[in-house]
Amino acid sequence: MSVPADNAPASRQAGVREESRPSLAALLIDPSFWADWASVVGLVGLVILFGVTSPVFLSVANMQAMLLAAAILVVLSIGQTFVVATSGIDLSLAASVMLGAVILGLVHAAGLGIFAACALAVLATSAIGFMNGVLITAGRIPDFVVTLGTLSGITGLGLILSGGEPTMVGSTFLLKLASGYLGPFGYPVWVAIAAVLVAHVALYHTRFGVHLLATGGQAESASALGIRTNRVKIAAYTISGFCAGIASILLVARIGSAEPQINTSLLLNSVAAVVLGGVSLFGGRASILGPAIGALMLTALVNGLTLLSVSAFYQPLAVGVIVVLAALIMRYQK
Amino acid sequence: MRMFNCLALGAGLLATPLAVPAHAEDAKVAAIVKGLDNPFFQTMQKGIEEQAKADGVGVTVQAAANMGDATGQADKLTAMALQDYDCYLVNPISVSNLVQALVPVAQKKKPIVNIDSTIDADQAKAAGFAVSTYIGTDNVAAGALAGEEMLKLVPKGSKVALIAGIVGDVGSNARTKGFKQAVEGKLEVVVMVSADWDREKALTAATDILAAHPDLAGFFAANDIMALGVERAVQTSGKDVKVIGLDGIVDALKSVAAGELTATVAQYPYVVGAMGVEACKLAAMGKELPANVPAPVLLINKDNAEASLKNFPRPGGDYPDPLREMLK
Repeated sequence: MSVPADNAPASRQAGVREESRPSLAALLIDPSFWADWASVVGLVGLVILFGVTSPVFLSVANMQAMLLAAAILVVLSIGQTFVVATSGIDLSLAASVMLGAVILGLVHAAGLGIFAACALAVLATSAIGFMNGVLITAGRIPDFVVTLGTLSGITGLGLILSGGEPTMVGSTFLLKLASGYLGPFGYPVWVAIAAVLVAHVALYHTRFGVHLLATGGQAESASALGIRTNRVKIAAYTISGFCAGIASILLVARIGSAEPQINTSLLLNSVAAVVLGGVSLFGGRASILGPAIGALMLTALVNGLTLLSVSAFYQPLAVGVIVVLAALIMRYQK
Repeated sequence: MRMFNCLALGAGLLATPLAVPAHAEDAKVAAIVKGLDNPFFQTMQKGIEEQAKADGVGVTVQAAANMGDATGQADKLTAMALQDYDCYLVNPISVSNLVQALVPVAQKKKPIVNIDSTIDADQAKAAGFAVSTYIGTDNVAAGALAGEEMLKLVPKGSKVALIAGIVGDVGSNARTKGFKQAVEGKLEVVVMVSADWDREKALTAATDILAAHPDLAGFFAANDIMALGVERAVQTSGKDVKVIGLDGIVDALKSVAAGELTATVAQYPYVVGAMGVEACKLAAMGKELPANVPAPVLLINKDNAEASLKNFPRPGGDYPDPLREMLK
């Protein structure tokens, strides 16, 4: 590397330090700092708390298991983030996961091969996301109402297609996907990491990302600037549907069967992770790492409470308290 | 006992070789059940905890967040599998959702006691393990018990109707199958409808059936909720039609005691949980477990309804428990 190239970041870094040094103490009492880093602070806090109280919590095996358990939620939270960034909300997310799983199971049972099954599952959930987007923008119906409607519609569709019965999916590919390791992480974790990287680049380093945040923050100004906000919204919902499809593959791989039952905690936790991640529910402000860490934090919470033998009754209460606290802190965001 | 003997024979083939047996006194049991939003599993949890106390074993009970939380249940079991428990008591949401989470348990050679809902044996085998024992209600036998009671109540050749649960539900199928087998050639099953485990749907269906078959002598409903709906329809019609349910929930026991519902076949989630703990204690003592242990089902009619209510959630009288015999 040439000398000037080396110098440039160094001087920039020094500049940052000079700026931040006097504010370090101020930083800690600035509520905005806590709001921005709520999920990280929460995760670190939980890791310390559970690490001290439960000897197993910090073991490598438990960390690996926890990351595996978090993978599905991380992928879903990313999908939800794109929608929330446009000031929308996707309530049909968990139902889409169920439908994707059912389609995967049926296509596989029909003998079309596992890759066709996975592709069709993702295609179907993406189509549902697309449809959500079109209904919201072209139909001018609030996001909440449209996705509430599709939540119920998809639930019915899943039951009709499956006849209400689970389908076994005995595929070596999915079995490897669920239980195989590459380096320190299981494959589902790598899928989640890849999703985080792709989404991060899309949000921060592409024109689409800029348009997305503009659409969420100031829809009118954005369209005045020539951004086709409707298309951006449709794209956000389609991405959400796509993520639901990926999650459905991970889900079927994890439990070995496609079941027409909706896991409502996935939906609630995806919204919770987005809130914990510092994404504004009014749109225009988003990050990908934040919700991903939020999802990790929610998984760590349940894992730690289980290790501490806390009754299952208290676990949803703990999640609720933490989400509301995070939302309260969020009020101090700049 | 005869049944138990042949089961014990099968057990020899399937029983899991145990690691160095721990002392039963300080055995620690990890239990994971389905959603505690359902009274059935709350009762099961109570059975597990009270039996553990009585037997002097430590127990931790965890549960899925709700009946759809298949992955959440697996995550919790994964966390418990990392801890130092001597025995794992599992009631899976589906036949496969806990299979992967049980692999590390099997690798540590800890006994796996499967209660209530089965784990698919083929998937378990593919994952490289087999459960040490299965304890649960035999739905076919429970349906047959209801059929035998019906035979005692109505004249030979009478017409009966069946109210099933959701179409294709395994439990509902087994229960109606047991009933049909018991009454085959002796009673005439005129119709079987599905009422989706719903009281109101069962009431409507029974009203229609009573109109279509004025000479109907009896109903069998695949669960108590539906039986109570059917009973309401019978009451409204003013006819003397016998109604038998299945499950043994409190409302049904009360109805039987009050002389409304004719009878119910009770199963005991409390006992299933308690027997699971007994199996864990036996495993900790180094005993070989039978591969399959049927949990008791008892017929409740006006004679023993009061006693059953008083003892709820425990059975009203003594019941066969091969595991308790082995512990003696």
